[in-house]
Amino acid sequence: MNMRRFYLFGFLLLLSFDTVSQLSFKLAANHAIPLVIAPSWLFRVATAPWIYGAVLGYLGAFVTYMSLLRHAPVGAAFAASHLQVVSVILVSAWLFHERLSLAELLGSALIVGGILVLSTNKSDTRHADSAAALLTDDHPGS
Amino acid sequence: MSPLIFIVWMLNVVVDTGGQLAFKAAAAHGDEGGGMAHWRAMARRPWLWLGIIFFCAEFIFWLVFLSLVPLSEGILLGSLNIVAVLVGGRLIFNERLNSRCLLGIFLIAAGVAIVGLA
Repeated sequence: MNMRRFYLFGFLLLLSFDTVSQLSFKLAANHAIPLVIAPSWLFRVATAPWIYGAVLGYLGAFVTYMSLLRHAPVGAAFAASHLQVVSVILVSAWLFHERLSLAELLGSALIVGGILVLSTNKSDTRHADSAAALLTDDHPGS
Repeated sequence: MSPLIFIVWMLNVVVDTGGQLAFKAAAAHGDEGGGMAHWRAMARRPWLWLGIIFFCAEFIFWLVFLSLVPLSEGILLGSLNIVAVLVGGRLIFNERLNSRCLLGIFLIAAGVAIVGLA
């Protein structure tokens, strides 16, 4: 598998994990209402079945992300992983009937535009090297 | 936006950015070998564990945040993390921010500001 396909597959997998995770977080948060700083809230969270969906999504995203991050610069990897904004907004509109105001839609367009600009930015492999150099002893002073 | 929502939002930005930077430090260990050797090399250093602690904190803070705002609004405001991580990558790992990066940062920051004030 060439690197391009590897990254595309990796980011799509990451997107799916992140979307399921966010959806589960919201369902768990709704289940645990009312929000109070007390053990009773944590108990309601722990007994919300959805919180375990969020944990699984988190773990899946974590393993996928760490595998990608070894070579991808943190900025580009993180930006591409945030395209979940689009999928989460679509799922929220569908399942929770959330509607964005005109101002919020304008804001979302700018945010998604910014994410696209960042994630299509030509990555510079020196990023990874500079981070590695910082953390190993064989590149003193770099 | 109420002060409570703002504070919980900022707590999320702090732990998310700290976690991302710690994971980058963990992943870029510079040792040879892939697969399990990569994971063993990461487990030997503190960064992976620090990142996991930050992310556990974010787990709770994010749940609190989503109890206070709709999911779509939460995910949009959460985009501020991208800006914070890029700035952190510049400060800590000396990652270059070219003009495209700066444009992306500007667009996201403007979008988050509009959503936050809406």
